[in-house]
Amino acid sequence: MAMISTQLRNFREPTKDQLTQLFFSLPLDAQVGVGEKVNEQERMDISAVLTLGQDAEEDPYPGKLYLLPPYLTFSSLDRKSVRFTLPLCTIRRVERLNARAGIYALSLSLWHGMKIVVQLTSLRPTADLFCALLRDALKAELQRGQMKAVKGFVKTCYSEVLVASSGDDSKDSAASKADGDVSDSSESMYLGGLGLKFKFPGDPKKLREASKSKLWTTYLKCHGRNLTLLRYPQCTRLVQVGLPNRLRGEMWETLSGSIYLRFAHPGMYERILKDNEGRTSTSTEEIEKDLHRSLPEYSAYQSEEGIGALRRVLQAYSFRNTETGYCQAMNILAAAILIYMSEEQAFWLLEVICDRLLPGYYSPSMHGTLLDQRVFESLVHRCLPVIYDHFTQVDVQLSVASLPWFLSLFINSMPMVFAFRIIDCFFCMGPKVLFQVASSLITTYPPLTHIQTAILKINGEKLLQIQDDGGFIHLMREYFASLGDSAHPESSDPRARAITRFQELLLVSFREFAVITDDTILNERRKFRSEIVTSIESFSKRSAIRNLKTLERFTKEQAGLIYDALFKAICVEPPPVAPLPPVALLTTKDTGEERPETRIGLKTFRVFLSEIATWARTEKIVSNGFQQRVDRTIAEHELIDRLFYFWDTSYRGALSLQDLVSGLNGVMFNDLMENIEWFFNLHDKNKDGYLTKDEVLTLSESLLFIFRFEIGDAYLGAVSRFMSNAFEYGDALLPRPDGSDLDDEPPPVESNQPYMNLATFRMVVLADEILESFFETDFSSTFRLEPVPIMEIPNSNTGLLGGLWQNIASDDNRKIFQKVTDEIGKTIGKHQVFHRPAIGKFTHLEEPKARESLLTGTMRRSASKSSLTATESSSGVAAPSALQTSSSSTLTVDQQSLASDISSSEFSPMPSIFQAAANAAAMMERTPFAIDDAKDDDEESDDGSEIADDGVMDEVDAFLEAHDSGLTEAERELAKDLINAEPVK
Amino acid sequence: MADSASGSADRSVQVKLVLLGEAAVGKSSVVLRFVSNEFQPNKEPTIGAAFLTQKCRLEDRVLRYEIWDTAGQERFHSLAPMYYRNAQAAVVVYDVTKASSLEKAKTWVKELQRQANPNIVIALAGNKIDLVQPSPSPPSTPGSPEPEDEADDATATPGENAGVEAGEGENLRQVPRDEAEAYAQEAGLLFFETSAKTGEGIVEIFTEIAKKIPIDQILASTRGGAGRPGAPGARAGNAQQTGGVNLEENNAKKDGCAC
Repeated sequence: MAMISTQLRNFREPTKDQLTQLFFSLPLDAQVGVGEKVNEQERMDISAVLTLGQDAEEDPYPGKLYLLPPYLTFSSLDRKSVRFTLPLCTIRRVERLNARAGIYALSLSLWHGMKIVVQLTSLRPTADLFCALLRDALKAELQRGQMKAVKGFVKTCYSEVLVASSGDDSKDSAASKADGDVSDSSESMYLGGLGLKFKFPGDPKKLREASKSKLWTTYLKCHGRNLTLLRYPQCTRLVQVGLPNRLRGEMWETLSGSIYLRFAHPGMYERILKDNEGRTSTSTEEIEKDLHRSLPEYSAYQSEEGIGALRRVLQAYSFRNTETGYCQAMNILAAAILIYMSEEQAFWLLEVICDRLLPGYYSPSMHGTLLDQRVFESLVHRCLPVIYDHFTQVDVQLSVASLPWFLSLFINSMPMVFAFRIIDCFFCMGPKVLFQVASSLITTYPPLTHIQTAILKINGEKLLQIQDDGGFIHLMREYFASLGDSAHPESSDPRARAITRFQELLLVSFREFAVITDDTILNERRKFRSEIVTSIESFSKRSAIRNLKTLERFTKEQAGLIYDALFKAICVEPPPVAPLPPVALLTTKDTGEERPETRIGLKTFRVFLSEIATWARTEKIVSNGFQQRVDRTIAEHELIDRLFYFWDTSYRGALSLQDLVSGLNGVMFNDLMENIEWFFNLHDKNKDGYLTKDEVLTLSESLLFIFRFEIGDAYLGAVSRFMSNAFEYGDALLPRPDGSDLDDEPPPVESNQPYMNLATFRMVVLADEILESFFETDFSSTFRLEPVPIMEIPNSNTGLLGGLWQNIASDDNRKIFQKVTDEIGKTIGKHQVFHRPAIGKFTHLEEPKARESLLTGTMRRSASKSSLTATESSSGVAAPSALQTSSSSTLTVDQQSLASDISSSEFSPMPSIFQAAANAAAMMERTPFAIDDAKDDDEESDDGSEIADDGVMDEVDAFLEAHDSGLTEAERELAKDLINAEPVK
Repeated sequence: MADSASGSADRSVQVKLVLLGEAAVGKSSVVLRFVSNEFQPNKEPTIGAAFLTQKCRLEDRVLRYEIWDTAGQERFHSLAPMYYRNAQAAVVVYDVTKASSLEKAKTWVKELQRQANPNIVIALAGNKIDLVQPSPSPPSTPGSPEPEDEADDATATPGENAGVEAGEGENLRQVPRDEAEAYAQEAGLLFFETSAKTGEGIVEIFTEIAKKIPIDQILASTRGGAGRPGAPGARAGNAQQTGGVNLEENNAKKDGCAC
């Protein structure tokens, strides 16, 4: 049951470039890249001083100018007073100003007629380079035809109408050439929300709509609008007193940067809807359930018009972002913004909210929400310790109240008019606003982030009296209901009386909690991220295990280990995302009742199995004199694929956790007979109770695969005996046609005809001690549930050093390091590679002293049991009676040579078991055998292999000598240091 | 603001109760019926959790239910522990017309039994039985154009509404009463079938829970925190307006209780 998501592991801290893009509300690279090719243009930033207009309406601000094609952005030094983000295509003209010597200034004329002057304060060559790049970028934009797109685009913006209707008397009435456009735009239809038809919430008089509009008109006239808005301190102030209703949607778009997305992707919203018409998914079903439950009191959502718009926006988002899909609370957000903006605008704004402003809030794990709740808690701890302590004392969790504040941006927590004003600030100043308000709320009331912090502060006194969650919620609810009341009803000063509690809240938020900055939040998120990820992951692990239909014979802990292996496999090899069901297929609701569940494909299964079964991986023990490590690779073999389909009992071509648990259960607890039967069934593809000749061969190959790294020839011999016996018994036991003589040759059996049943197979296996012991204990024990090494959560330790270390310790670098040490190891002759055997029973080299040919075709009965010296298990195994085979392979150990090998190759300290195994493996190193090898395997191999191995060792020795002396003193020193160096973790 | 603690508060016992269950089975509607005896066709989905209170009288005791009504969407699941921690009672709701919702209910029960307060009293409620009963009250003519009233609550999708009108009574039922009841018995849960729309079985849930809760224990444990019941602001919930429910009235017609 349930989904297993490793998405949280893929988190990467935003790079410096991305942070800059985030700051300027630009689409992140990855997003831009969808579909269209980003022109690889160079980015550059440069120190500059910004002046606006000829009359210098605003003070000059020093700051930094960034060329981020296709945008040009600027931020003042304090990163908050002044900034702009200009699409390059809105720059109509760039001139180099003739000024005093030593001053390098550019004058930019913008689409809306403003003229800004940037004085580049860097050295001359730098400034020249910047200009060159700017010129190239502008040319590229011109070629893309973006300049022309602007004209059509601005017509969709209400601000044009607002400014145009304010009269043409103003001196810079939308610039020289734009005159014609202005009159056009007043006629054209601008985009607007449902509010235009269904009224905006709140009393326009009380909201002082008219005067707000007037102030904005003035501001927009000189500072640009929509695509070219220049944000001076006045802009932020105006936002804080609340946006006028008609302008609100567009300003949200501009401030949040979603306008750039809409500009860059014309028509995409309609296209998404059209391409996915009629498609249903879990998300669309969930959306459908909530459509009538989104701001139901607002009249538009009692009509098909409003409901339809809401449906389309939410669906379009879920089609475009299948991973996130739809999360409750998004319906409320979408419903709210649709009051102020058109569907297309809302669609892009929703994307900006979900992806950039509130990352991870609405994802399936809701990790962003949990993380920010933790951050909020920590901020309260820091800013409001008294309240924090009290809450801890009475065991009240902040999140019980604050979670919905963050998730639905206060929309269903406080009266809408107030919530919208917080949202204004949120889009203008970013997510920190939430924390500030929340904090002030619990200050005097519980604060939101900004807002949250403020809320808490304002309610501080009373909060100290609450005793439980319920009391906390009630207090907040009351406070929210009273936001419109006067904050100082007793005051004699009428102006003080006029201040509402809401105003007071904002004031506290932005004044007292100005300490909560974007950086604070980034840092706090970094701090708690891995904690949250760990807790989410362990939560989903617990529920996945709890939800198993059966644990079979495993304990909960063991099931946990299976889960860990599966989780790791999914990290390494993510299963393909389940595609949306094709349009118009399976739309009947009840067929898809099953809840989504993570299932893995063959590729992921291989990784999974390699964690559990020793033969499903190839482990090379590499020692190079500096370090010893185990390089593990995932084996590929038909046996593994066979196992996959064997466990896929419901024929879905994919396995769930339950399938894996049940599958492992089928093999890990088996005794001898059960194992034999299991192995037989595994290879009996059509499940008719018979193996065909082909299947017998396949089965032998499976055995050889499992034994491929075993030391010595014992297993190889066993398999070869198995084959000869199998065909002998098989032929002997074939049903003969009636009346035929026993001595007659049996009728030939096609290689794909039923040939051998379980009983015969069992007989053949039991005829061989090695195989018997293999099936009795060894096979089950090749499946090992061991703790998966704790995987690092993409750590985001704060600080430069943390980041630096992370870079060094990254996987790639580790590989490089290993490669380098390998190379050095090779040079000094200490590089050795051994395969670790899957069973590892024979840790010493054992060679049959004498082996008789197994393929004589006659059955030899021999009383002599094979004796496997030096193996503990065989001594205890009773000889399986009459079926005893001919193999009288007596294995001896060449202890002496082993000992000498050990001394001849100087190892860095390593566990002795490895050492022995490794030594032996080195001597016996052979290519994985194929069946053919097995057939003509006889005495030759004994001598041959020994000789060959000796040769190998000689070579190694020679290598060692030849190169040892070649090292310079310095190199030696270095190598020594390296040896002593801590290994890279 | 808050009415100050009255004498009766001394004897009132706070019971924290949490509602769990799949999305759109009618959790919020069950609470709304219990708390204000109302039924709203369009309820906003619960974000995180909603909090409501209701006072009840049982014999000589006054119980104050603090109800946490949680969000049902799967992805909110990981938030649930925040709400069920310290809960003394839980109502796990499923929809009798949707078999999968019982499966989800079972996983909730399992989780509660493993993770929550060990003495938690759990009730299983099969909601929306109005959809599977031949409607005894104003017989709605088949095909009558009032789909919104047909369904138990607004969360029923239009498709389901259509189904209500087409399908007659029992054949909409996907969870047989016997099956759910047997499960409840086995898992040691109280069991009810309810309709938030008609009100059937709703009060009974809370009555039976009240009877089963070790009130004296709770009293003993909370007595330490003096003044707790009178915490200002704690009792001004919108629930209070409707007044308390007298649980004893309903004792007579209590429904099949598995305890």
